[in-house]
Amino acid sequence: MKPLASFLAWTGWAGRYLWSAWAGAAGLFCLAAAWQAGHEIYGSFVLPSPWETVLAVVALVHEASFAQAAMETASRALAGFALAVLIGTITGIVAGYSFATMRLTRPIVTVILGVPPIAWIVLALIWFGSSGGSAVLTVVVAALPISFAGGLQGVATRDRALDIMARSFGAGPWMRFRTVTLPHLVSYLFPAWTTTAGSAWKITVMAELLSNTGGLGGDLATARALFDIPRVMALIVVTVVFALCTEYVLLDPIRDRLERWREAGVPWGVRR
Amino acid sequence: MGREAMKLVLDGVGHAFFGRAVFEDVDLSLAPGEIVALLGPSGCGKTTLLQIAAGLVDPLRGRVRRAYRRHAVVFQEPRLLPWMTTHDNIAYGLRAGGAGRPPADAIARRGREVGLLAHDLDKYPAELSGGMRQRAAVARALAVDPDVIFFDEPFTAVDVGLKRSLQDLVIAAAAREHFSALFVTHDLAEAVRIADRLAVLSEGHRGFVTERRIEGRPGERDDRFIFDLVEAWSRDPAFAELFDSEREGLS
Repeated sequence: MKPLASFLAWTGWAGRYLWSAWAGAAGLFCLAAAWQAGHEIYGSFVLPSPWETVLAVVALVHEASFAQAAMETASRALAGFALAVLIGTITGIVAGYSFATMRLTRPIVTVILGVPPIAWIVLALIWFGSSGGSAVLTVVVAALPISFAGGLQGVATRDRALDIMARSFGAGPWMRFRTVTLPHLVSYLFPAWTTTAGSAWKITVMAELLSNTGGLGGDLATARALFDIPRVMALIVVTVVFALCTEYVLLDPIRDRLERWREAGVPWGVRR
Repeated sequence: MGREAMKLVLDGVGHAFFGRAVFEDVDLSLAPGEIVALLGPSGCGKTTLLQIAAGLVDPLRGRVRRAYRRHAVVFQEPRLLPWMTTHDNIAYGLRAGGAGRPPADAIARRGREVGLLAHDLDKYPAELSGGMRQRAAVARALAVDPDVIFFDEPFTAVDVGLKRSLQDLVIAAAAREHFSALFVTHDLAEAVRIADRLAVLSEGHRGFVTERRIEGRPGERDDRFIFDLVEAWSRDPAFAELFDSEREGLS
């Protein structure tokens, strides 16, 4: 009885989640319509039509070298994402708990935030040479402050009254973090993480293009040199699809599951 | 009764916030199964004294001696975790105490004791009414099987009829489970209904103005008796501060 009920609840949730993709698809098709209009005004050379781009994507995906380039970019983007999220979140949480750490680290983060990513690429090129390391470093440095700010804000705005309640029942620091602070923190961390995931792909491709280190960015540089505009558009579309996938396939379902209790607070009739 | 048999003894306790004394040299003890109501005008440090007794605040001066295994606190607000179901909230005290995951039927029984139905236990706090949330908070405290419960003005935010039934709930639980309790309130009638003894904290940080034993057992006193006693005591100079400060506040 119990497993069946929870399975049904899960399929219900999964169905609702997939169904909500229609709304997202509608938004994307509006964008495609505007793109088509642009194509009809300016012609194929400036802006290839969405259909031409789709054909170029199909051709691109069938190339032998594509899988390797995509893997390179994906592994760099994911490594950069993981490092940025890990370092940023942990230092952010520590800074949220300790006033001294916050006073020390905040100006550092502001400085990091102030340096343009393009300058980091130049520095990374000097330090790492033409390797994947420069792309990863650029992603980490550019995306870290967002997770840091999320962790810091989440911990700083935790509910002290609930913390005192937990303490009154003899809950230790780890139990209090897990049950009182963490569920609150999640609502600050997930927006930060989705932003980080999106920028990780963008910055990786940019760093690859500028440092000529292969991957999708390297392909983009070649396509630009050859004036192969449909191919340029196809590479952009592929990057965007990867970014969308990390957000809506990887991160969003987790957040949706963790934040089910919020839905309970919404009164009937206002739901969704 | 000797001081050794007491569940809780506060000995010459004093506290100050930023150098401004809240109260000084307060002695208070809690006998087994005894409910002591702590009264005082607002801002006199009732809640601070309760937090010191519950070990949530360290006193600046004096000593707190505890001779019991476990205590629980019921706060002015329910303080339920919004991301846990009512069931998990009631079980929270037990889990925090390191008891692991308690059996579901034990939690359901605690829920029934405070008037929560089985389907209420699956709801999140946001789906419960204010009174039901406070009931869940009382159930959470009772669930840890405490020897002492600290109540910090728990029923100020609920309406009169509900307040009465929540008071009855506490009286019944105390008669059943024999815990001691420190019940902070600013409502003299509530104190007279619920407590064995009451103590009035003064506003001028001089400690207690008066301590009175209330005749009879809680739950056995009728409304007439409570009304007459409250009437008589509100004319008593020892209780004057309770009512005077409210008048000053109005002017």
